Amino acid sequence: MTVDLDRCTGCEACVVACRAENNVPTAGPDQAARQRAIHWIRVERYWEGEFPNARLRFQPVLCQQCDAAPCEAVCPTYASYQNPEGLNAQIYNRCVGTRYCANACPYTVRFFNFYNPVWDKPFHLQLNPDVSVRSVGIMEKCTFCIQRIKAAEIQAEAAQRELKDGEFNPACVQSCPTKAMVFGNLNDPESEVSRLSQSTRGSKLLEEVGARPKITYLARESAPEEGGATS
Amino acid sequence: MNKTPEQMNEDLLRPVFHTTWRFWATVGVLLSVIAAAGLALSYQVWNGIGVWGIDRPAFWAFDITNFVFWIGISHAGTLISAILRLANATWRRPVTRCAEVITLWALMIGGMFPIIHLGRPWLFFWLAPYPNERGIWPQFRSPLMWDFFAISTYITGSAIFLLYPIIPDWALVRDKSSGWRKKFYTVVSLGWRGTPKQWNRLEMAMKIMAVVIIPVAVSVHSIVSWDFAMAPVPMWHSTIFAPYFVCGAIFSGIAALIIAMAIIRKALGLEDYMKRLHFENLGKLLLVMSLLWFYFIVSERLTTWYGNEPSEMAVFWSTQIGSFSPLFWTMVCCNFLIPVPLLAIKKLRTITGTVIASSTIIVGMWLERFLIIVPSETHKYLPYAYGSYRPTWVEITITAGTFAAMMLLYVLFAKFVPIISIWELKLGERKPVVSPQLSVVASDLPALAEPTGLATDS
Amino acid sequence: MDRRDFFKISALTGATAALDSCGKPERQLIRFIPEEDLVPGVATWKPSICTLCPAGCGLIVKVMEGEAEVVRNGKLGLMPMGLAKKLEGNPNHPVNQGKLCPRGQAGLQLTYHPDRIKTPLKRSGERGSGEFQEIGWDEAIKELAAQLSALQSSQESASLAFLTSPLRGQRRELVERFLAASGAPRPTEWAFLDDAVLRRANQLSFGRPQLPTFDLAHANYVISFGADFLGTWNSPVAQSIAYGEMRQGRSGRRAKFVMVEPRVSLTGANADEWISARPGTEGVLALGVAHVIIGEKLRPASGAGGPAALIEGWPQGLPDFSPDLVEKRTGVPAATITRIAREMAGHEPAIAMIAGAPLAETNGLWSAMAVNALNALLGSVGQPGGVLFTPDSAAAPPKPSQASREGLPQPLQALAQQALSGRPNPVKALLVHDANPVFASPPAWRIREAIENVPFVASLGSFLDETSILADLILPDHSPLESWLDDVPESGTMQLAASVAPPAMLPLHSTRAMPDVLLDIARQLGGPLSAALPWKSFDEMLHAGFVDLGERLGTTNAKGADDFWKKVQAQGGFWATETKLAAPKDPNSVGRAKAVAPSDPQFQGDEQGYPFYFLPYASQMLYDGSLAHLPWMQETPDPLSTAMWGTWVEINPKTAARLGIRQGDLLEVASQHGKLRAPALIYPGIAPDVIAMPIGQGHESFTRYASTRGANPISILAPLTEPETGSLAWAATRVKISRVGEGKLTLFGGGLSRFPHEIETR
Ligand SMILES: Nc1nc2c(c(=O)[nH]1)N[C@H]1C(S)=C(S)[C@@H](COP(=O)(O)OP(=O)(O)OC[C@H]3O[C@@H](n4cnc5c(=O)[nH]c(N)nc54)[C@H](O)[C@@H]3O)O[C@H]1N2
Ligand SMILES: Nc1nc2c(c(=O)[nH]1)N[C@H]1C(S)=C(S)[C@@H](COP(=O)(O)OP(=O)(O)OC[C@H]3O[C@@H](n4cnc5c(=O)[nH]c(N)nc54)[C@H](O)[C@@H]3O)O[C@H]1N2
Ligand code: SF4
Ligand code: SF4
Ligand code: SF4
Ligand code: SF4
Ligand code: SF4
Repeated sequence: MTVDLDRCTGCEACVVACRAENNVPTAGPDQAARQRAIHWIRVERYWEGEFPNARLRFQPVLCQQCDAAPCEAVCPTYASYQNPEGLNAQIYNRCVGTRYCANACPYTVRFFNFYNPVWDKPFHLQLNPDVSVRSVGIMEKCTFCIQRIKAAEIQAEAAQRELKDGEFNPACVQSCPTKAMVFGNLNDPESEVSRLSQSTRGSKLLEEVGARPKITYLARESAPEEGGATS
Repeated sequence: MNKTPEQMNEDLLRPVFHTTWRFWATVGVLLSVIAAAGLALSYQVWNGIGVWGIDRPAFWAFDITNFVFWIGISHAGTLISAILRLANATWRRPVTRCAEVITLWALMIGGMFPIIHLGRPWLFFWLAPYPNERGIWPQFRSPLMWDFFAISTYITGSAIFLLYPIIPDWALVRDKSSGWRKKFYTVVSLGWRGTPKQWNRLEMAMKIMAVVIIPVAVSVHSIVSWDFAMAPVPMWHSTIFAPYFVCGAIFSGIAALIIAMAIIRKALGLEDYMKRLHFENLGKLLLVMSLLWFYFIVSERLTTWYGNEPSEMAVFWSTQIGSFSPLFWTMVCCNFLIPVPLLAIKKLRTITGTVIASSTIIVGMWLERFLIIVPSETHKYLPYAYGSYRPTWVEITITAGTFAAMMLLYVLFAKFVPIISIWELKLGERKPVVSPQLSVVASDLPALAEPTGLATDS
Repeated sequence: MDRRDFFKISALTGATAALDSCGKPERQLIRFIPEEDLVPGVATWKPSICTLCPAGCGLIVKVMEGEAEVVRNGKLGLMPMGLAKKLEGNPNHPVNQGKLCPRGQAGLQLTYHPDRIKTPLKRSGERGSGEFQEIGWDEAIKELAAQLSALQSSQESASLAFLTSPLRGQRRELVERFLAASGAPRPTEWAFLDDAVLRRANQLSFGRPQLPTFDLAHANYVISFGADFLGTWNSPVAQSIAYGEMRQGRSGRRAKFVMVEPRVSLTGANADEWISARPGTEGVLALGVAHVIIGEKLRPASGAGGPAALIEGWPQGLPDFSPDLVEKRTGVPAATITRIAREMAGHEPAIAMIAGAPLAETNGLWSAMAVNALNALLGSVGQPGGVLFTPDSAAAPPKPSQASREGLPQPLQALAQQALSGRPNPVKALLVHDANPVFASPPAWRIREAIENVPFVASLGSFLDETSILADLILPDHSPLESWLDDVPESGTMQLAASVAPPAMLPLHSTRAMPDVLLDIARQLGGPLSAALPWKSFDEMLHAGFVDLGERLGTTNAKGADDFWKKVQAQGGFWATETKLAAPKDPNSVGRAKAVAPSDPQFQGDEQGYPFYFLPYASQMLYDGSLAHLPWMQETPDPLSTAMWGTWVEINPKTAARLGIRQGDLLEVASQHGKLRAPALIYPGIAPDVIAMPIGQGHESFTRYASTRGANPISILAPLTEPETGSLAWAATRVKISRVGEGKLTLFGGGLSRFPHEIETR
């Protein structure tokens, strides 16, 4: 995936889309106040400078699907593991809830179910049947919408064809109005995501930590001092 | 020591044979604290671990603090006892059992936390490698797995190390008792007759165990430290952690031992056996450890400060001048500023002095573990994900319960086992005491053949 | 244990076991036979329309089989039915092109909300007590019909009032016809965030009483005066899509974007240059820019045409708006004004837009016309990369109807005054649909009192909010996903668009769609009403309207009518395929209207006693408060503050330090019209003399999720208006603040900056 910070407006459509797609539980006011709200993707905001030169930057952060994922090595039960496609998968049933992985993840994108999630009836009817609901004591995080990946793969296989670039998208990417996020197969050099991840504006988040994240962030540009459009 | 073997038997077996109201009162108080902790724990398991104060990103707090703390305390006994045994420090004799039992209980209490801190504690056995229908082994790359092996090895070794030398004493109790005690101690003394062959085997086993247990103990706390150091978390990911943790463990362990001895001495009237000499010697050891601990923390902090890595500096400042700084500076007082004068100045290195120093060290070392864990979690790389932590009554009650459990197990142990190794003490009495210092005394081993019937005399 | 005990215990366990098995309520439910064909596990995507804001984005709804407790013929039972699972943007819809904003995504929760009104209710306690009694639909309709026919027979139909959120399309047509045929006045439309001032300005400047559409994707320079076009204003999804293109969609070209506002908004956060101007002086700043452009002959003043003719002093080159003078009035450095003028003139096409707080000042209309004139000067109006208008929505259904009447409807405050005065034409009956003015109007308008004064109030809403709780009768509406919907987007696309969609799922509760209720009543009352509304149901009316549209546009003929109707339903609407740039009409008003003189903004509260400008703003998640009942919206962190489940008061760090206020302290914010309490949020991007607060919280009664949560900034607003439109000047209040204790602030985000030295924010 690539995330273009020059396009991202911080609108958080992606945040709500992920919540809706992935049955992310609502913590409620009391638990949220205890720092237990769950958002698989969040839009970080950082201030720079002081009034009248105060500036704000947005940065959507989700699981970076690290190649050398610290969360995987520390998980004693293989609940956090690298699947054959290179995705950092989370197997809820295997998780015993040590929370070690959440500490080890440099991006703090793993979320824990401190209690059994509650859906005030009939909110339970909106649950996506393609995604399992996580019970108390289980770690969860962005899965790159693996259910969408699998569904597309199965359909392509049934039709005996290759998956096309951009044929499907994770919920957050699908919703993003500015097309800040682009999803695709990095192993396919022709894909848009491969092309974008080669951009000179590209960098990885916390590259120095060495988790080898798969998401490339494209830097926000600034207008030249004097003048408008760059050409 | 000018006690006859009879007096020794009398003094040291008294707690086993006589039960005072004080015993019942103590047990009652401790049991009620433990019951409260048990209720808190059930409440937690029933409702979910959300009843704790942990949150995101402080996923670990009191739980792992207690884990590291108690595993640290466990380094009081077996490790120190093994070193003293190998060094043949004769003054060790009234101390070793006292110390070894701390190890066993502390390991049991500490070892409980990796289970009860789980989100789904009923599935704790998934951490163990066993053939199962899921067809998967645990992740051997996870330091939590290493913990599992290290702690189970240590607990087994420590139990053996503690139990072997108890056998002759239990045989002594057997021979001196009647009724249910006779039956009970007949079973647990495993047919000890005190034959030369048995003495030989015991001594040989102890020698082997003393050698083996030292690397195990060192590895245990190294591995505990790697639970942190192997994760790329600011100020966890540090090469200094293994020796730092081992040092801290021995440090807190000795402190715990001193406190335990002081209480036993008063409670069981063993003033003639545990003397100022023992406290002074342990106090000196404690002084060394305090200095060593300070050396480690200075090395850790100084290199971090010079490194000036932004994410580490966030953790650094949060402990030096930020919200964690009151705890940090309390820790420095407790672990260094208060104990060092008490232990370094000969006049102050009394029983009271060492006990005061040990008490502050226990507090300080608990804080140290907390301060290693929580500030790093709450100041990880991305400032947006910073957080804070505040415990709830549940964690506090469970923590109190662990201290009560330690004391209760100790009290019960002293009830069923002579808390000072009688035969070793007698053995020591038969040889001229060369020097009460830490010096190596001529080997006791020739005496090995002699104590035939030690257990059966009088 | 004796024998007795044993029996007791066995009886108890037996009872528990019984309760456990067949005693469980759900096992007693009847199982209904499904009413639709469904394949379990397979999703179908059905078109729908987002109704949460005026943008009118198209939806597609993921529907999958599930089992729901539903009421059929008064019986509760379980039924396998198609359930909406997720909302996505309709990829073919010309406004939102497959995308949605966060609010639109959460629209799903309207349907499944546990506190929806599930059946008609009749008041059983005091007004406002919230005590209601469930009644059947027959009774409810009969009751409403009786009330209306009583008015008719006593010749008092003119005292019937209909209060609604702004309506469009066939719904508007239906309501207008209903009221006209009843002899009642036109509906009073109320939305806190209305754009009446801008529509009026656009009518004066361009002859189009319509919100503009910006071709951002092709613009090279954009300046926004307070318009939160990426967040909540106008057509945010369409504008965000275009913004993405404007930034990185053209290789090698990236427009510059300048934001003018006293508090960094979501949109302002994305600006290349952010400028804080004194509130109410945005029009002055725009004319300062125009002054430089004209003075430096970067553009001829005469090129600005009609819109400029309305600006006093334009022909003279705006002598009162030299950069120096403008600097004095706005606080923006003269050099910045000159530079921006040169940049804008040098980078066509350039867009200037204005909305939000600048138009919610007493001089908002003049400011808007000033910006219009600037656009005209830049030659951006009606040009690619400039300011455009969606092709005349009057062409879409409804066609100009015999029902629509001359004259503007009565504004809310006039309606309230009428209800309170008792003379000359008191309001005898009030129908409220999807509007909550009790929450969203300034206290001085006394809306609650006014409604309480009306003898009969009926609500057609889905939730008990501050307004509907005052009703005597509640006829609950379907959720949007359960309803036939239509809409005619006013802006956001250059294509003519008319959306329509059948229900995406069957109703969960015993509710009825508002249009169908009105049709029912019309049938019951007969006479001119049933003649004006001959349709049996709303979908029939939509069918007729769309077939008519197809015929008028030559897209279909009578023979293909059914196919056309099927096709528009399947794709979620009709949109003209070719993109037409709608030029502004030559406004006949321009010749007539006199040039408008600039006026200084009026504020209520003197500078000494009330030292801060008070800036309420639309919340990215809760919008104008109408979405505060959705837990997803409550829990999604506000993008700038990261706050969840509450309100806060934004204050400049230096001001806070001066007043000894720290993050989270409870503040009292007082105006001449009231006071409220909320925790302080230290906000680096706000002017030192401005206090900002999001709108949305502070509901007294609005479901379990929003009631008594946070504070409502509207409750302390002064009742100033923009004089020509009567629109509320909600940014014209001044306040004072004081620290009153410790507050509670729930933030999702920690550190404020990327490399904080000592971060102790939580
Ligand atoms: N409440 C409720 N009742 C239902 C249904 C429902 O959905 N809900 N479904 C209905 C339908 S469609 C069906 S088919 C029936 C099924 O009804 P049953 O045939 O009663 O089905 P089960 O309870 O699945 O299994 C019966 C028993 O067979 C045992 N068993 C498993 N393997 C073997 C084996 O190899 N040998 C032997 N001897 N025993 C074995 C199981 O342990 C179990 O005790 O239930 C009907 N009744
Ligand atoms: N794990 C597990 N899986 C099993 C079994 C098991 O024991 N364990 N048992 C197996 C067996 S024996 C069976 S028979 C199958 C049963 O599997 P299914 O056939 O899937 O059984 P149900 O869920 O009972 O019914 C299917 C749907 O039909 C709906 N329905 C009810 N009445 C009507 C009607 O009149 N018309 C229509 N169109 N729909 C209606 C119901 O509401 C329900 O949604 O499951 C098999 N699968
Ligand atoms: S971002 Fe965190 S959770 Fe995701 S793969 Fe990397 S370490 Fe694991
Ligand atoms: S919390 Fe679950 S996924 Fe994470 S390390 Fe523990 S068992 Fe593995
Ligand atoms: S990829 Fe899917 S799971 Fe991950 S953040 Fe996006 S929507 Fe959520
Ligand atoms: S939806 Fe897109 S633009 Fe909006 S916050 Fe997410 S990534 Fe940024
Ligand atoms: S902008 Fe958002 S709330 Fe408004 S119609 Fe579009 S999706 Fe719905």
